[in-house]
Amino acid sequence: METETMIEVRDVTMRFHMNADKVLSLKEFVTRALRGKLKFEEFTALENVSFSVQKGETFGLIGHNGAGKSTLLKIISGILKPTKGSAVSRGNVVPMLELGSGFDMDLTGRENIFLNGAILGYSEPFLKDRYEEIVAFSELGAFIETPIRNYSSGMLARLAFSVASVVNPEILIVDEILSVGDASFQEKSRRRMTELMSGGTTVLFVSHNLDQIREMCGRVLWLDGGKVRMIGGAEEVCNAYAGA
Amino acid sequence: MKGSTLRKIIAIVMGVYVLAVVAFYFLAGHQLRFRNSRGNIAMPEQVIQYAELTDGVTVEQSFFAPIQRFESVSVKFATGVRDTNEGTVLMEWLRADTGETLARETFDAAAIAEGEVLSLSLGEAREDLYNVPMLLRVSADSEEGKCVSVILAAKRGGDETVLNLRPDDATLFFSASGEDYIWSGMHYWYFAAGGALLLALYFLAVYLRNARGKTGFFVKTVSAMQKYRFLIRQLVARDFKTKYKRSVLGVLWSFLNPLLMMVVQYFVFSTIFKSDIRFYPAYLLIGIVSFNFFSEACGMCLTSVTGNAALITKVYVPKYIYPLTRLMSSTINLGISLIPLIIVSLFTGVRFTQAAILSLYFWVCLIVFSLGLGMLLSASMVFFRDTQFLWNVLSMIWMYGTPIFYPDSIIPERFRIILRVNPLFHFIKNARVCILEGISPEPKAYVVCFLFAAGMLLVGSFIFRKTQDRFLLYV
Repeated sequence: METETMIEVRDVTMRFHMNADKVLSLKEFVTRALRGKLKFEEFTALENVSFSVQKGETFGLIGHNGAGKSTLLKIISGILKPTKGSAVSRGNVVPMLELGSGFDMDLTGRENIFLNGAILGYSEPFLKDRYEEIVAFSELGAFIETPIRNYSSGMLARLAFSVASVVNPEILIVDEILSVGDASFQEKSRRRMTELMSGGTTVLFVSHNLDQIREMCGRVLWLDGGKVRMIGGAEEVCNAYAGA
Repeated sequence: MKGSTLRKIIAIVMGVYVLAVVAFYFLAGHQLRFRNSRGNIAMPEQVIQYAELTDGVTVEQSFFAPIQRFESVSVKFATGVRDTNEGTVLMEWLRADTGETLARETFDAAAIAEGEVLSLSLGEAREDLYNVPMLLRVSADSEEGKCVSVILAAKRGGDETVLNLRPDDATLFFSASGEDYIWSGMHYWYFAAGGALLLALYFLAVYLRNARGKTGFFVKTVSAMQKYRFLIRQLVARDFKTKYKRSVLGVLWSFLNPLLMMVVQYFVFSTIFKSDIRFYPAYLLIGIVSFNFFSEACGMCLTSVTGNAALITKVYVPKYIYPLTRLMSSTINLGISLIPLIIVSLFTGVRFTQAAILSLYFWVCLIVFSLGLGMLLSASMVFFRDTQFLWNVLSMIWMYGTPIFYPDSIIPERFRIILRVNPLFHFIKNARVCILEGISPEPKAYVVCFLFAAGMLLVGSFIFRKTQDRFLLYV
């Protein structure tokens, strides 16, 4: 097995300056600053988290709501800069954090494929090349030329998944997405995921569904209150998590 | 970055620089080396008396002016509101020290209209008249009741007196004009070569650094441009498509809008300002198109970060792309609204000269300035949502503080500082000079506009860069 490290998270700490309540207006800011009440509460979302993911691995992330999973994913995909420590990822990261966040409701499905593809970092020739494939996978047919504000939520999810998964990304970040569309599309997307994983893609997988984690992941990290509670084989960590 | 790619880009940039420098030299032409002299004497404004030029009356005006290249003097005449004047009027211009006649001409009194300004020209500009005492002599051979008059004004200080005619403490309605040399313009090629040398040295450093595997600002910018070119194009296309998506006339609005605004303002303001301003419709339209672009671009940039919150929290894309793409789609709009500007200008009789091309320079400055301000606003908007309301008020003040529909001459002298520190005034004024007057502004104007634009971009991008890591926590 290849042991090329794709993601290296070293001693990452993330602290947010949380104002007791967000000051979003100048007047509020000035009056508070004058009264000396502009104090920040520190909130530590992640503390000294370290791990690495090897190439081709499917790495699971579990933890309760607010444990820091999403923050960790954002740090890995470069959206957030950690307060301390470093997160290095080699290769292009395709985040499937929330599908279709780059969609524009006034554009047609076709235009959105190109827009969303560009946002995910695909090149133009690549998209043109794979355009038919994306449309076919989404099963949208003639609706592809309709503005997507007329789509049902299932159709939107299908389009988004099709765009995001057409590429063979080096690192794929999956945050609770295998529940899109109807049963048959869910099955299809699961197959597509398995296909990607066997194709050498490194996958970071976040889910609350322990069965899914057990089925798909090799190793799992359990985050609890921003700290690493446990890291190890899927079966072992899932059992501990379920028991806690 | 690959050495060959970098070499190609450097060659292109250097080529563009050389082309721009040479093109500017020819487009700016005469105005690059000479400007209207600071020593020019302007026509007075307050009439105190008329002096009838009957046979035997000679009006002499002594004067001097610090003009490096003397060209002409002019005198304003009155007819006594008659069209039955007869005889000839003689105008002479001589040196008071040597008595040399510089120019003389006779005019038919019958052909002189009320308030007409007649000029004596040297033909070839003369450089030896700087501060030399001179005489301007006007006489005529008309009978009383059939003669034209010269106009007298209160004395303005300096060594001007009207001789041979009472009262002594008056001055003739006359003007003197010429040009001064522009030192920087005379040495244009030295500056151009110096710029080329600096640019070449910079690129050499960039190239060597790159060869050693280091990346600097230039290489980073270029590779980001390559990497995100497709995304930028898609985002610009999205802005542009969605803007007119559900309207019937669609993109036509991009040039109907300024045209309609121009028509409305023309009807509202034409009676007040029309006589002061040549080509008033075109004058208006240049102001409207420029200011519309400015307020649209800044308004779009303002919400570019907060409006794309969904993207910013999900995908990593360099954040400056959001204001940049908004600005680019506004720029396309600006390009489209230049079409009605050209049409209206041709319709109202504006003669386009080569200098009109130079107006593009000032629009580029306007675009760069808007980008800088837009970045500043978008960053500030993230932390203080009040920015949008403040900006609404500010942009309205800015609109009234910029001569869009009124001539800048109506601003009293003591408030002119407001214009001088207003970058939009400089951009719009100089674009108007290029298009309406058909000549290039003096070289200083280019430098001033460049400094305004580059300064704003530096400030805006600096603040944007400093704060962008914290955007995520506030959007």
